[in-house]
Amino acid sequence: MPSATVNKPRPSELLSRLTSAEPEVKVRALREVKNQIIGNRTKKLSFLKLGAVPAVAGILADSIDDVTENNNCNNTNNFLVQSAAALGSFACGFDAGVQAVLDAGAFPNLLRLLANPNEKVVDAVARALRMIYQSKLAPKYDFLQQKNMEFLISLLNSEKETVSGLGASIITRSCETNLEQKALFDAGILRKLNSLLEGGSLSQRDASLESLATVFRNNPEVISKFAGPEIGRPLSSIIDLAKDRYPRTRLLACMCLIVIRNASPHFLQDIGIKTKLIHILLELLDDPGQVGDEAPFAFSSLIAQKEDLQKLALEANAIDKFHHHIKKGSLHPRRYEGILLALADMCSKLESCRSKFLSLQVLNLVADALTDYNAGVRAAACICLKSVTRSIKNLSAGYFMNETIVIPLVQLFLDPSTSVQVAALGATSNIVVDFTTRKSIFVQCGGMKQLVQLAKSMESSVRSNALWALKNFVFQADNRLKEGVFSELTASLLSSLIRDPEPSVQEQALALVRNLVDGCINLIEFVFAEDGLILGAIGRQLQCASKAEIGIQGMYALCNVASGNEFHREAVMQLLFTQMGDKNQSFVVKFLQSNDSQLRTATVWTIVNLTCPSSPGAPCRLEKLRNAGIVSQIKNMVNDPCVDVKVTIFFIFRICFLFASLFWLT
Amino acid sequence: MASSKKLISREEWEKRLNNVKIRKEDMNKLVMNFLVTEGNVEAAKKFRMESGTHPDIGLATITDRMAVKKAAQCGNVKDAIEKINDLNPEILDTNPQLFFQLQQQRLIELIRNGKVEAALEFAQEELAPRAEENQSFLEELERTISLVAFEDTSNCPVGELLDISQRLKTASEVNAAVLTSQSNEKDPKLPSLLKMLIWAQNKLDKKAAYPCINDLSNARLEDPTF
Repeated sequence: MPSATVNKPRPSELLSRLTSAEPEVKVRALREVKNQIIGNRTKKLSFLKLGAVPAVAGILADSIDDVTENNNCNNTNNFLVQSAAALGSFACGFDAGVQAVLDAGAFPNLLRLLANPNEKVVDAVARALRMIYQSKLAPKYDFLQQKNMEFLISLLNSEKETVSGLGASIITRSCETNLEQKALFDAGILRKLNSLLEGGSLSQRDASLESLATVFRNNPEVISKFAGPEIGRPLSSIIDLAKDRYPRTRLLACMCLIVIRNASPHFLQDIGIKTKLIHILLELLDDPGQVGDEAPFAFSSLIAQKEDLQKLALEANAIDKFHHHIKKGSLHPRRYEGILLALADMCSKLESCRSKFLSLQVLNLVADALTDYNAGVRAAACICLKSVTRSIKNLSAGYFMNETIVIPLVQLFLDPSTSVQVAALGATSNIVVDFTTRKSIFVQCGGMKQLVQLAKSMESSVRSNALWALKNFVFQADNRLKEGVFSELTASLLSSLIRDPEPSVQEQALALVRNLVDGCINLIEFVFAEDGLILGAIGRQLQCASKAEIGIQGMYALCNVASGNEFHREAVMQLLFTQMGDKNQSFVVKFLQSNDSQLRTATVWTIVNLTCPSSPGAPCRLEKLRNAGIVSQIKNMVNDPCVDVKVTIFFIFRICFLFASLFWLT
Repeated sequence: MASSKKLISREEWEKRLNNVKIRKEDMNKLVMNFLVTEGNVEAAKKFRMESGTHPDIGLATITDRMAVKKAAQCGNVKDAIEKINDLNPEILDTNPQLFFQLQQQRLIELIRNGKVEAALEFAQEELAPRAEENQSFLEELERTISLVAFEDTSNCPVGELLDISQRLKTASEVNAAVLTSQSNEKDPKLPSLLKMLIWAQNKLDKKAAYPCINDLSNARLEDPTF
């Protein structure tokens, strides 16, 4: 018999029935709202906007009062169950819903109802609370309070799966610090979770695995206490679950083992378990549902930054498998993103992985992903490109500087999402380090102009990454290209970037100048443009450099300028001696005394260029340096631990010998 | 022609079979597990009385589940949805695939009953947003809607959607989802054992000629042939 009714009441009509005086009408409306929103995100949103959540929360609150007054039990329980279920559904996977439920003040009422004698009420309430705790917006649970810990233990001890599941969710959501992890361990929670692991139902095992992983995260002490005197046993039950028949359990068990591995150097380090984890995760990719979507993320957490695991994964044909899955197409965006990030991790360090990647022609598929409708996928594709383009062999061959990659990549510079922009810039930074003469392709598709535009972005991360890409672009580029970049940038923009509020931007801007003026002497004129805007900016920035990296890039820029002609050298000298404050000490001495060897190196090189004997003004400059105490400072550095510094200092000594009279007078 | 296969006579085979001891309790458990998973409450109750075997799941939960399954089998999808939500609202909230399938079935029932306008309205209001949230549903939605375009649905390419088997498929998915949510195994063990029997026989076929079972419904041993 057909059952679809077309005469559905409108949402606003339903809502008004929620406040009806007649219990029958009210409970029917409540049940109808619940049934309309379950599984239907669009309806959740529209009912939310109409104010349904406070109305339902109100019914819950009223029903609690009825319970205390012992009014009509059956009816009241029905109201409690339906309203709790509706609130739970609003909160299910829907942050706006969670917020609305919390704002409506339903949370404390739900907690109270956990003690209700009716099973169905407790189930509905426990589920609703668990939905809330699955969201980031859930109220923070303070484990360090004694009575909170006791309450949590009572939840975990409950016979009811919904209630013990709630206890586990609270741990998974709220346990963050090492202190909290220890408190949970001390209260015996881990032993309880372990018993659920071994003797509980499917959902209890899964919930327990998630909670254990949360308590173990980055805490080697708790892990070794857990694996404790019965060494191997608790861990072996988790290892067994990695081979469980249910895919979700396998995934959660793997994730738990990975957390243990990453936190503690003592456990799960043998090659057997490493290989097993890799194989299980790769096989989970075949699961068509959420488990398969999350598997690549777990894989990434296993291999990231670890060359030995990347090598094992390569041997297990991981790249082939990922390739096979991407080729299939119509991937869920989460899965697509995960696989791209996993490929990025695989290719992050090992050339053998990159070769495999390129030989399988995965690059074309990744280039397609650059234009995907999902921002996470686009960003992941860029991150993958960044890893693969670390291949110097292929960069040298100009493999990546082609239109298939460059054009979509440059389009992403205008992406609405900042994280996509930054990721695209990261990939670009590698690609433009092209040792062939094909950099002009980048200019032709408007890439260079776009980078300059991005250097003016409101987001500091976009500015610094755009400058990084430009810096790499002009690295050993020909004069024409450099002139093109400089005229697009302009002296005033570049000098203001050198003086940017963000240190990372300052650093990249100075490095860009360094690369721009490196090489041909004509290029040095850039820093003198518009009354020496850039040179002045460098000088001011070096006086108040907040970190060594800024000093390094700035000094190398000056070093390059000083490699020019007399005029250039005199200009640098003047810069070095501009007084700062009352210290009367040039920042040069400060840099020479720095702990950073690169900074010391850059500074002594600059001095070498300034005092190079072939230039007529050298003796004068050396005298000035001596008077400023710089020469004696350098003499103290004869035993500098850094080889580069030592070698350079001997250059300076040679210079000093040439002007012997000056030397002996020090 | 000499054969490398070993020949096992019926007598020898039956002797081997008799040597394998299987406990009656275990066989009863298998039967009970089958009745309970398939949801045959009456038969399960009777069987419990006769054999003293205890079911793994409470029989009360089976009744609820069976009401859901029956509603789905009869095409009363709205009713089935409401019953599942009363049982456990999480099931449909966390299983978009299943929820879509049920809504799709609702659409099919509307089309089956000639309520074209209502069907289109339903598709627009309920199914289109699901397809927006998840592109893989879009294809299914389009397939289902195309039913409306065909006068003679028995001959159209998507005609199978109107078949009763589609309802049964949906009902079976719903049954499995409820079982899983109750932390129970969604597949009865008995069919798996039968599959293993066939697999084992296939393997043995390569090495020996022996009395095998070809008809699972009567489990009669047939004499070995070369």
